[in-house]
Amino acid sequence: MTKNDKQIFDGKPVLQFDNEFDRRNFLRTALIVGVGAGFAGHALGDPTFGNRSSAFAGSLALKGPKGDLEILNYALTLEYLEAEFYKLGVQGGVVKGRELELVAPIADHEAAHVAAVTATIQDLGGKPVAKPKFKFPQGTFTNRDKFLTTASVFEELGVKAYHGQVTMIDSPDILAAAASIAGVESRHAAILADLTGGNPFPAPIEANLPMAAVLKAAKPFIA
Amino acid sequence: MQSKRKNFVRGDTAKVPSGVAIGALNNRFAWAEAADFDSDVDVLNYALTLEYLEAEFYRQGNEAGLLSGKEATYLAAVQRDEESHVATVMQTVQKIGGQPVAAPAVDFGDAFSSRKKYLTLSHTFENVGVQAYLGAAGFISDKAILQAAAGIFGVEARHAAIVGNLLGLEAEGGVYMGATETPLSKGEVLGAVQPFLADAAAAGGDAAVTL
Repeated sequence: MTKNDKQIFDGKPVLQFDNEFDRRNFLRTALIVGVGAGFAGHALGDPTFGNRSSAFAGSLALKGPKGDLEILNYALTLEYLEAEFYKLGVQGGVVKGRELELVAPIADHEAAHVAAVTATIQDLGGKPVAKPKFKFPQGTFTNRDKFLTTASVFEELGVKAYHGQVTMIDSPDILAAAASIAGVESRHAAILADLTGGNPFPAPIEANLPMAAVLKAAKPFIA
Repeated sequence: MQSKRKNFVRGDTAKVPSGVAIGALNNRFAWAEAADFDSDVDVLNYALTLEYLEAEFYRQGNEAGLLSGKEATYLAAVQRDEESHVATVMQTVQKIGGQPVAAPAVDFGDAFSSRKKYLTLSHTFENVGVQAYLGAAGFISDKAILQAAAGIFGVEARHAAIVGNLLGLEAEGGVYMGATETPLSKGEVLGAVQPFLADAAAAGGDAAVTL
C-alpha cells in the first residue's frame, strides 16, 4: 500500500493539515449543508421517476461551485474512511483466497478515489479536507466476519451518500465524475453483500441518504 | 431549451479548468455526440429499449432452467429489477408527455444453451447497461429523472459485479471494471446490442432508437 500511496501522491505525505480544527470545521460545515440535502433527499427518496414537484423547495444547501466543493470534500471524507479501512484490512491479512482477490482491488479503488477527488478539489481552487483520524472497533481487522460486515455497511452507506448528492451537484462534469465513482461503489456493495450472506440487490433503484444522515453513521469511526 | 440542454451536456467549460482531475475519472460527457438525444423523452426511450432487452433476456434465460441454488435466486432478482426498470421508465415517459417506444423483437441465439453462455451474455448486457446510463446521463435535464436514472445505473453495476463473480472472472476487469465506470456513447451501445435485435430495421422505424 505504501507503493500505491507513493504512486498516487507522488510521495508527498497524505496528511498535510490533519488537525482537529479542520475536522471539526468540516463536520460543522457539512452538517449545515446536510440540512438542505435532507429536504431534497426526502423529496427524491421515493424511487419513482417523474417526481416533478419542486424538489428543491426548502433546500438550504449552497448551490453552484461553492456547494460542489463542499460535496467533494464530503465525498473525500468518506473515501478516506474507506481507503483507510481497506488498507488496514488487506495489510492485516483478515481475508484470504477468493475473498482477498475480491477485496484487494476495492482497497486500490478507494485509494484512487481519494486521489482523484483530492486533485479535483485542488483543480477547482478548493482546499481538500484533511484526512480524519479514524478508529475501528477491536477485532475489525482480525475477524473475517467483522471486517466484511463493516465493509458491507461502508459500501452501502457510500452508495447512498453519492446518490443523495445527485440533485445537489451543480457542475455536470463533477456529476459525471461522481457517478463514475458511485457505480463502482455499487459493485463493491453487491460483492460484499454476497460475501456476507446479505442481499446484493436490495432495491431496483439505489436508495439515497442526505449528508447529515451519512455523517451521523460515519461519525463513530472518526476519532 | 435547446441551448440550455447543450450547455448542460457540454458543461460550462469556464467553470472547470483545463486538465482537471476529473478528466482522469473517465469523464466523457464531452465526447458524447450532441445529436444523440434531443430531450429527456429521447434518453428515456433509449433506456427503455435496453431495459426491454434485458427484461426479456432474463425472462427467457430463467425459464430455461439452467441455474440452481444461489445463482437461480440471484438471477431471478435481476429479472425482477429489470422488469421494474421497464415499468418505471415507461411510466416516466408517459408522465412527461412522451410516447414510450415499443419493445423490440429480440433474438438471443444460443445464449440459453448453457449456464456459462447465459451468464456470459448477462455479464455483457449489464456492463453495457452501466456504460449506457453513464453515457446518457449528461443529456438528462430533469433532476428528478436524473436521480432515478442514476439509481438504476447503480443497480445495473450491482448486477454486473455479481454475475461476473458467479462466472469466477478475475476481480479486476471481470467483477470490477476499474476504479471508475466508463461511459459509452449511444452509437457504441447500439452497436453492441444490435446483434440481439431480431429486426433492427423495424426497431429503428417508429422507435426513437435509430441504428
